Amino acid sequence: MTDGKAYRRDVLKAGGAAAALGVGGSGFLQTLVESEEDQPSTSGFENFVGQNDVVQTVCSPNCRGKCPIDVHVRDGQVKKIEPHPPEDEQYKRACVLGLSHTQRVYDPTRLKYPMKRADWSPDEPNPQGRGPDAEFERVSWDEALDLVADKMQSLKADHGAESVLFHEGSGNYGQSGKSFKRLASLFGATQSAWGIDTNVGRGFNRVTGVGAFLPPTNEAEDWENANTIIIWGADTFASQFQMDASKVLDAVENGAKLVVVDPVYTTTASKADLWLPVEPGKDVHLALAMMHTVFEDETYDEDFLRTRTTAPALIRKDTGELLKASDVFGDGGEQQVVAVEQGSNSPVALEPETGGAYALFGEFTVDGIQCETALTRLRDHVADYAPEKVAEKVGVDAENIRTAIRWLATRGPGGIAPSYAIGRYKHGHIFGQAYAMLMGLTGDYGRHGNIHAEHSGGATLAAGDWAAPDDADPGPSLYFPDYPDAMIDGDPHEIRAVYSIESNMMGNQFPDRQRFREAISSLELFVVADMHHTDTVQNADIIFPVPHWFEQEDIVSGWGSHPHLGYRHKVQEPMWEAKDDYYAIRGLAERFGYGDRFPETKRDLLRKLAGRDDDIDFDTLFEQGTQKKESVPIVKYTDEFPTETGRIKMYDDDAPSEEGVTFDVPRPLEDRTADDYEKADEYPLIFMQKHSRFRIHSQYEMLNWVREINPEPQLDIHPKDAKARGIDDGEYVRVYNDRGEMVVKAKYNDAFQPGLVNTDQGWWSRDFVEGHLQDLTHNEVSEVGQTMAFYDVRVAVESAPDDVDTDKYGSDNPRGSGAKATPTGGD
Amino acid sequence: MTKHGLVIDQERCIGCQACAVSCKQENNVPMGQFWNRVLTEGGEKMDTPSGGYPEDGGSGSLDMQYQPTACQHCENAPCVKVCPVNATYTRDDGIVEIDYDKCIGCRYCMAACPYNARVFNWDEPEHMPEEGTGDVEARPQGVVEKCTFCSHRVDEGLDPACVVNCPADARIFGDLDDESSTVSKYIDKYETDQLLEDRGTDPNTYYISGEMSPGRPQTSDKMESELDDVSPWSDGDDDVPSEEADSVGGESSGSSHSVEGGEIPYATPAKSGGDD
Repeated sequence: MTDGKAYRRDVLKAGGAAAALGVGGSGFLQTLVESEEDQPSTSGFENFVGQNDVVQTVCSPNCRGKCPIDVHVRDGQVKKIEPHPPEDEQYKRACVLGLSHTQRVYDPTRLKYPMKRADWSPDEPNPQGRGPDAEFERVSWDEALDLVADKMQSLKADHGAESVLFHEGSGNYGQSGKSFKRLASLFGATQSAWGIDTNVGRGFNRVTGVGAFLPPTNEAEDWENANTIIIWGADTFASQFQMDASKVLDAVENGAKLVVVDPVYTTTASKADLWLPVEPGKDVHLALAMMHTVFEDETYDEDFLRTRTTAPALIRKDTGELLKASDVFGDGGEQQVVAVEQGSNSPVALEPETGGAYALFGEFTVDGIQCETALTRLRDHVADYAPEKVAEKVGVDAENIRTAIRWLATRGPGGIAPSYAIGRYKHGHIFGQAYAMLMGLTGDYGRHGNIHAEHSGGATLAAGDWAAPDDADPGPSLYFPDYPDAMIDGDPHEIRAVYSIESNMMGNQFPDRQRFREAISSLELFVVADMHHTDTVQNADIIFPVPHWFEQEDIVSGWGSHPHLGYRHKVQEPMWEAKDDYYAIRGLAERFGYGDRFPETKRDLLRKLAGRDDDIDFDTLFEQGTQKKESVPIVKYTDEFPTETGRIKMYDDDAPSEEGVTFDVPRPLEDRTADDYEKADEYPLIFMQKHSRFRIHSQYEMLNWVREINPEPQLDIHPKDAKARGIDDGEYVRVYNDRGEMVVKAKYNDAFQPGLVNTDQGWWSRDFVEGHLQDLTHNEVSEVGQTMAFYDVRVAVESAPDDVDTDKYGSDNPRGSGAKATPTGGD
Repeated sequence: MTKHGLVIDQERCIGCQACAVSCKQENNVPMGQFWNRVLTEGGEKMDTPSGGYPEDGGSGSLDMQYQPTACQHCENAPCVKVCPVNATYTRDDGIVEIDYDKCIGCRYCMAACPYNARVFNWDEPEHMPEEGTGDVEARPQGVVEKCTFCSHRVDEGLDPACVVNCPADARIFGDLDDESSTVSKYIDKYETDQLLEDRGTDPNTYYISGEMSPGRPQTSDKMESELDDVSPWSDGDDDVPSEEADSVGGESSGSSHSVEGGEIPYATPAKSGGDD
């Protein structure tokens, strides 16, 4: 290729991608630079600047990017990716992964044709044939859809529609998922209910009335107004969120204090003014110590507490319930809480968003009922958590605890920005409750510069009841952690078939992988739609090949990232026989008799859905490529809180309990991170699986450019822990517990707290020398949190057996043979 | 005259590797080779710190910073001096470039370069996808190659790919001969280092460490000299913000780091994997 002939411009003119695609002429297709001549550089080598067709589209995984990008095409090939500033240009963004689609789009793991497991038939599913050795045969799309539709309908007739589970992951932020749910609703199938990363938001929601995954937070453009940012359990600068790194850096450059709370000295911690090296699972203790400091210093925001929280509300000492206006006043509300006026001690019913001279502390007798204020109760509760008292348990110097919270309490608006990590401890919801209340004490809601989560809310497409139309009779929903019991034991009801889209969870990302393998093996039908030949696909009976995002037109939501919607224009037509999920969804709908409920083409669907959102104009979005949703508020929590009282709950008299602990106020509760956990001696190391900058969940595993930098799974281990086990740096180690094992390379890393080890998540089976990190994790969740507890895991580590075969990372395969191998089936 | 230079704000750099990979993509760099490597200043391996984990709950002695490192485009470039066939030369605008047609593969330049910035195509270069990527032609087996400051883009008024693709706004490209350019202003205002200053190579690449700069937020891929409004600050103020205006509570932020002269931080050769 040194003669440059393949790239001569006349070839380009003849076979230009724009003509081939039929997308020429409109605003999204533009040439970067007008250039009349080829541009030989001074070194005599050809320069292609200005010769590419450029298609504006959107990268679409479940990260905090949703990055509008330009795809450069030349000679009918994707040549490079660059960020494209959205309508609001300050949200220009991209990361190492999105920039590498040039490799992903042509990766050999891409699925080409619909396939059927060779030994599967509707009446003889042969479940034992699934797994690593399964073989597949090519079928036509019609055949595949007929097989799936017939089997689902016969299961519906024999076992009820709810015996079919529609499982949707997060692997594509387009709109096909809404139609997937619509089909599930019309069919009456069981639908998946999210059970990952929902813990912290749940706890926060109990206090404020909002929050699901993480709570809403001010949009990233406002973060530069923060004076203190406490990033808690999050490697913001490395893990999914690097696209907004500049926003946090801008705050720091403006003079904000950056505090990082993390057991790991992360990239983010390396940028901090103060790092608190908390021990795993001790975050609630730490938050209570911070509350203690706020009370000790009297730096709480009195005005905020009186106006927007239930801090002055009275708690009945006899029942522990909040005194209600109906207890005191003839016409008082049953949900309305009561405070007393300072001085006169006369009771007054609290209205939302209304300040007054309410007593914040004290004991009072109202109508003969002995009461104390909620703030008094909280202050008494945290009296046991003086920084000095908890310092050793929490692993953080007492004075540093004080310094961190003093910055937040006294330097003006700021915030606490957790990610999902703490929710990956079993009882992580308690932390959500704790920090929501801590920020209530400091008054950090509703102001410029407040931050409540490490990624902003962003924008979604409001599509009304599309997913669950009025006349449908949707089936039950099933939490992720409840799948195995349903599939294996029929509890709470039988699941006999699964249709999975946008997900590599069942085979790779769910914890306790062997249990999920067993669950899959109980199915009569497992349909998996994917772009790549993943571990989940390898366990499928029917495979629907989905095209790369660049080959599917869509509207991409900016959820969790930025306040735009993006139009994902096709860069090229789907390769081979890959087809958009919507094709299969509509194909099944037709076979079920709901065909008329689904627009014929994807374009029609998108136009229809966009028409349901008043903020979006389809043609504008289509032409511009992005459209900012002006209705997305920059500053959150400016209105009445959606709680019974309209206020933040500083005391919860209707709190849930688990394991004998009631969460009226935040009370620490630990599972496997507890020092006295029964198997702590047998499995002495806590095992986490960090998000890294090199994958989004299990996506992008195959990027060869990235694997030159990050070639294989490793075990981050403190040298002290390694040496105590006779483990050398770079040696392969066996990591095991009572569920399973994996073999990976040990990486001495002083950033990791002794007693804590880590393997970054997202690797596929083919990348491990033995086993898989999800063979070590478990599927036990807390009653209140209902969230998979990936980090609440213990392991033991030893040198790998001498006979372990590590050839896949030999000198011939520096990026791992897995990354090069073409999978056995599905193509 | 124009003298192109690069300022890298290490306080802003988050080690995300976007510059390293977008460089490979733009410049059609073969597999196994990097023109631009993100080195970790800290422990012996990528993404590891130096120092010890705190045992008393304090902040301890751990320290880590990233140092993206490519050809430094030295004013007094040792590679230019040693090239027996004048294949490596300095352009009028300060960019050090290789004429691959002249390169005989003797690799004297690699020995002369103190920054380990050059790579040699021992084998027939491998590309993924095999047709190649980006906007320049691939180089053949048997030549040395390296960062060109994306001269093919610069010639068209575009910033280098690594600069455009930095999500931390940590890379600023511009004209060192123009006092009003952001690079010149930052070199004037912030504490900057050139790598291995004692070697007398006088690189046109400068590293900020100590106090963080506002970087250069980019909403375009055009070079600063091509833009009407060069202000990197959202308020449109063309001046570098004053100390008083940009600090809250009168305290400066960021911990202090400096690049020690004399030694390049540990870099794992790409061929052996990078993150082992």
